[in-house]
Amino acid sequence: MTDPLLEVRNLRIEFPTRRGTLVAVDDVSLTIAPGEVLGVVGESGAGKSLTGAAIIGLLEPPGRIAAGEIKLAGLRIDNLPYDDMRKIRGREIGAIFQDPLTSLNPLYTVGQQLVETVTTHLNMSASAARQRAVELLEATGIPAAERRIDHYPHQFSGGMRQRVVIALALAAQPKLVIADEPTTALDVSIQAQIISLLKKLCRDHGTAVMLVTHDMGVIAETADRVAVMYAGRIVEIGPVADVIHRPQHPYTVGLMGSIPSMATDVERLTQIDGAMPRLTAIPSGCAFHPRCTRVFERCTRERPDLMPAGTSRAACWLHEASHLVRAA
Amino acid sequence: MAAILREEKSKGDVAAGSETIVNAEGLAKYFDVSAPWLNRVLERSGRQVLHAVDGVGFTIRRGETLSLVGESGCGKSTVARLLVGLYTPTRGRVEFFGRDLAEMNTAAGRPLRQKLQMIFQDPYASLNPRWRVEDIIAEPLIAHGLVRDKAQITARVDEVLHQVKLGPADKVKYPHQFSGGQRQRLSIARALATKPEFLVCDEPTSALDVSVQAQVLNLMKDLQRELGLTYLFISHNLAVVHHISDRVGVMYLGKIVELASRQQIFRAPRHPYTRMLLDAIPDLEMTGRARTPVAGEVPNPLNPPPGCTFHPRCPHANARCRSEVPALRVVHHAEGSTEVACHAVEEGRI
Repeated sequence: MTDPLLEVRNLRIEFPTRRGTLVAVDDVSLTIAPGEVLGVVGESGAGKSLTGAAIIGLLEPPGRIAAGEIKLAGLRIDNLPYDDMRKIRGREIGAIFQDPLTSLNPLYTVGQQLVETVTTHLNMSASAARQRAVELLEATGIPAAERRIDHYPHQFSGGMRQRVVIALALAAQPKLVIADEPTTALDVSIQAQIISLLKKLCRDHGTAVMLVTHDMGVIAETADRVAVMYAGRIVEIGPVADVIHRPQHPYTVGLMGSIPSMATDVERLTQIDGAMPRLTAIPSGCAFHPRCTRVFERCTRERPDLMPAGTSRAACWLHEASHLVRAA
Repeated sequence: MAAILREEKSKGDVAAGSETIVNAEGLAKYFDVSAPWLNRVLERSGRQVLHAVDGVGFTIRRGETLSLVGESGCGKSTVARLLVGLYTPTRGRVEFFGRDLAEMNTAAGRPLRQKLQMIFQDPYASLNPRWRVEDIIAEPLIAHGLVRDKAQITARVDEVLHQVKLGPADKVKYPHQFSGGQRQRLSIARALATKPEFLVCDEPTSALDVSVQAQVLNLMKDLQRELGLTYLFISHNLAVVHHISDRVGVMYLGKIVELASRQQIFRAPRHPYTRMLLDAIPDLEMTGRARTPVAGEVPNPLNPPPGCTFHPRCPHANARCRSEVPALRVVHHAEGSTEVACHAVEEGRI
């Protein structure tokens, strides 16, 4: 097995507040191999976006990394000084955010923004950088790139803007792209275009992607592996087809059942009663136990770690060897 | 109420015996989005009119769910607002139990108005944060004069809270004490308070997480069965529409381009736009499948293309499509009939 490009070990993100410390991400470990697409899914408040923000060093204070480490190509990046992290951000790790309008500067033309990124990270003259910017825009499928490069973000439609953001993220040919809900703000027909564009560009350049989204359909089409997050922890991680078709954790089972499908007719969707706990009141033991249909005594007491479950790994006592023996 | 509930002849493929509750004909809503007068004079520009909805017609029968689906800006929410009287139509009319909706703002129309309620998209914006749950739910009861005293209010509030699976203890709480899914159940409870027969649901689950969306969709289906409700369901999510609908209308730039039963739309789509939408959706079954990306984007509704507004993105467009606007026509085929607005389908080219 090749060395992982990104390695996150026991990451813990805390928010100190007047009423005590909130733990938003707790003991998250994951790896991404070069060229791999890792999907991270979960409902709002699961900590998936914060994990992404921590990796590119963009955690908003007072949020902070309280424990754990993040390594990019074997090098620790979570404790780097601000200026060193700036050099990595954009050069080694690109970022794509949900709303293309707020991730572009409205006062500069897209060309100026692209040229700035290219000249900052790559040793290029202004005219070469502009040439590269035009190529980038062409690669993302923007028609008449030569002319459009001098337009301002407001002159682009939503889908076109997101293409510009993708061009920006890939400008310095980073090894890893963190894409946080890249298609959520777009219409379905545009969403399809952006997903296939992202897939194609990353395959061509061998870029690894961490794709953060709540849309299981997008993950199914794009990711190689998927991590399911719940209340700040990874509850299941495995190859995408296995997690979708043979989910092992009761939460993943419920999540898959609650997605309406166009392929089958069902009268009722599987529903998970209740809601994700607030950070101020995360239950003891397994955080999912109050909503779990297969809860037993140990779940309320002890917190499960990820353990082998089928071809995936799940954080659930049902998959513990002693439990499996008793059940058999 | 019997006077209002006039039987109406069913038309087309409408099953005999089921009564038409809503009948919209040639509905249009234009918005004047012109620049201010002085700018128009200085820049020598004319008025600009946005045709948000331009000639939409459909019927909804008792107990069924009609969904309108389309991308942002196609006019689906405007139709919802026209149907509950939040907008007055520029052209066309809506009949509700055989009576014109325009009557609704008169004293005689009051009983009609109780029968029609709306659920909005954002449960954070549609509930007054300074009111307690009991006040929120009691407001329509008091406004319509359906209750005489406090005891009646309490009884009805408890009843609807129970219907949406919340407890009487929740009555004294404020909206911020509830999660998103619970808030959406509160807005359903408020809509149910006046015992309506027809609910307009404008993207009721779009702001919710999937597991919570499942709770709300299940609840809406249960309520429909128990109370015999009729829904107009507005959504951009085709999977949700597939789950909840009996019939589906696909909208594009202010017009319905295809209207048929759910099975027809999803199993045998006719209009090229419907086919394109269905192809574009990521589905869990399609792991690894390369999908057909759709070319182009929705044109600017201020300056729509001539003829069929879909023609710049359509692989089947010809000269006629570029000049002549197609009308919604019934097409009969092996599996039944579909209403579709497409020259290519009409000419048998696709």
